[in-house]
Amino acid sequence: MSLTHQETTILEGIATVARDHLGWEGPVTPGMRLVEDLRLDSIRLLTLAAEVENHFQVRLDEEDEAGIETVSDLVRVVGRKLAG
Amino acid sequence: MPAETLNDLLAAAGRAPEGGLRFVGRDEQATFLGWAEVRERALAACGGLQELGIQPGDRVALVFPTGPDFFAGFFGALLAGAVPVPLYPPVRLGRLAEYFDRTARMLTRAGARLVLADRRVERILGETVAAARPALGCRTIGELPAAAPRPVPVAAADLALVQFSSGTTVDPKPVALSHRAILAQVEVLNGFWPDTKEVRHSGVSWLPLYHDMGLIGCVFPALERDATLTLLGPEHFVARPALWLRALSRYRATISPAPNFAYALCASRIADSELLGVDLSSWVVALDGAEAVVPSVLHAFEARFSRYGLKPGVLTPVYGLSEAALAVAFSPIGRPYRIGRFDREGLAREGVARPVPPAQSGREIVSVGRPIPGFQLRIVGVDGKNLAEGGVGRVWTTGPSLMEGYLDDPEATAKALRDGWLDTGDLGFLLDGELYLTGRAKDVILLHGRNHSPEEVERAVEGVAGVRAGCVVAASWLPEEAPGEELALFVERRRGAPEEEIAALPEACRTAVLGATGLAVDHVVVLAPGTLPRTSSGKLRRSETLRLYLEGELKPPQKVTTLRLAGAVARSQLAYARTRLQRRGGADG
Repeated sequence: MSLTHQETTILEGIATVARDHLGWEGPVTPGMRLVEDLRLDSIRLLTLAAEVENHFQVRLDEEDEAGIETVSDLVRVVGRKLAG
Repeated sequence: MPAETLNDLLAAAGRAPEGGLRFVGRDEQATFLGWAEVRERALAACGGLQELGIQPGDRVALVFPTGPDFFAGFFGALLAGAVPVPLYPPVRLGRLAEYFDRTARMLTRAGARLVLADRRVERILGETVAAARPALGCRTIGELPAAAPRPVPVAAADLALVQFSSGTTVDPKPVALSHRAILAQVEVLNGFWPDTKEVRHSGVSWLPLYHDMGLIGCVFPALERDATLTLLGPEHFVARPALWLRALSRYRATISPAPNFAYALCASRIADSELLGVDLSSWVVALDGAEAVVPSVLHAFEARFSRYGLKPGVLTPVYGLSEAALAVAFSPIGRPYRIGRFDREGLAREGVARPVPPAQSGREIVSVGRPIPGFQLRIVGVDGKNLAEGGVGRVWTTGPSLMEGYLDDPEATAKALRDGWLDTGDLGFLLDGELYLTGRAKDVILLHGRNHSPEEVERAVEGVAGVRAGCVVAASWLPEEAPGEELALFVERRRGAPEEEIAALPEACRTAVLGATGLAVDHVVVLAPGTLPRTSSGKLRRSETLRLYLEGELKPPQKVTTLRLAGAVARSQLAYARTRLQRRGGADG
């Protein structure tokens, strides 16, 4: 799976959020599932959503979030929001 | 005429209001709704509900984030003589399939005739509503028809609220509370902090409105005394804990409650940069309840925030449960929290609390204080008799705000309520008239201030390779030195399962539980087949499993020899006798 330049930047941003706010030290790759692979319980999912919004200055709503299972899903949704 | 119902409180506050609800968003912008306006919106909603066909006694489910629409729906239902049933909205990025399943079951269990939800939730709730089939479907407040309200008179004995003490797919427990019970609780709470010449009390809360500490603990007391309550959404607090302390400071609030994990979160997650100009000196009472209170967390919170004006004596450990509407015991207001240290062996093996001298090591337990006015506590031993101070047993309570029962479940109600006394399902002892909790007899997992059912966690690993079917136990407890309760999963491995499957079992179980419930498992204990203790009828014994694990005694059954057989027969006769005694006292069986 190859990412565009923008998507790579977004992925790095998500990795930063994971490191700074979720204590996630390991790699963050597109195929990783948020729950199973990043080990996010309900509280940490909330933290991820809020801090991703803060980091990229976007707002995600219910429809955006429905169906986000993997990191690449999240990258795509953030990319769409940034495009406006 | 003294107020007898929540409707009376709303009418009174609506007449000459000074206070109201202040909603603060994640951007810290505030919207204020005076109580008169809350009442106006409620009346409008009442008209709409009645136009739809809502009758007195009907249950109306509410699925809202914290905001004005929740209150329009809640009080609107009450004005129509209906019974509100607040449910939790979906968690962000969470598994919607599990959410729909749980919500559908709660709707069905509560017999909800209508679901009121906000627009975002309504859009995704379609499947849930289809599954549960409430007769009047799902509406937003905005979609309610415009019609003149005809407020229905309600009586103190009428149901005012149904709240689920845990949201689950298995055996949800809807607690039914009357107006009388709620008002009794509200009166006691407000009695703890009367206004003075110097201080006019106001509150801040980020607690969810479907949780008793948020709704009964904060909203109704503010309504009763025409005070102002500042509300933040729970999702905003968890994402940015500083918002809570900043609001307390900005609005010079005096009262605010939270569960233990929130105090821990604040102590570890808030940076000084988020607290510039924050002054917590107005904070008089920081209630700490809804889950186990941990000594190290209290210390950490005070140490972290004393330089921001937090005074000693503000942290106030408390105890309660939704079956009692909310509070049962309070530490004395203004007194610094009291931590007892007790001989470990005495507690664990003899069920007796013996304070240890200052230099000696012991198990630290926080006092949650004395029974609140109108309430009594007693500690009951395995033989069903009341224990003297220092004896560890089941905590029973009686008081004016007990639930009517579990909705439409006389059997479960009869187990919990006996002769006007409520079996809390918690374990503890009394010392100098104060309550110390040591654990739980009831099979409930308490994490982040919320109850979860063990069955739900156990079910989640049913399909995991290597797990012996029907041989899983989930339980949580507070380890010494831990900042909060930890969740353990005890799993018997399947006979003949290959080694690779067994090696992968802990991770696979963790992942399965995370996906299905959003809960993180702290310990996965893999056991040989036949290790989990069972009752004589073959039912798994969760608290016994936990007890054996904590004492290092969780072992598989040994090979049978004649000598062992004789010993086993003798032991089982003893165990059977004990079980009969326990059954009389109402313990697990």
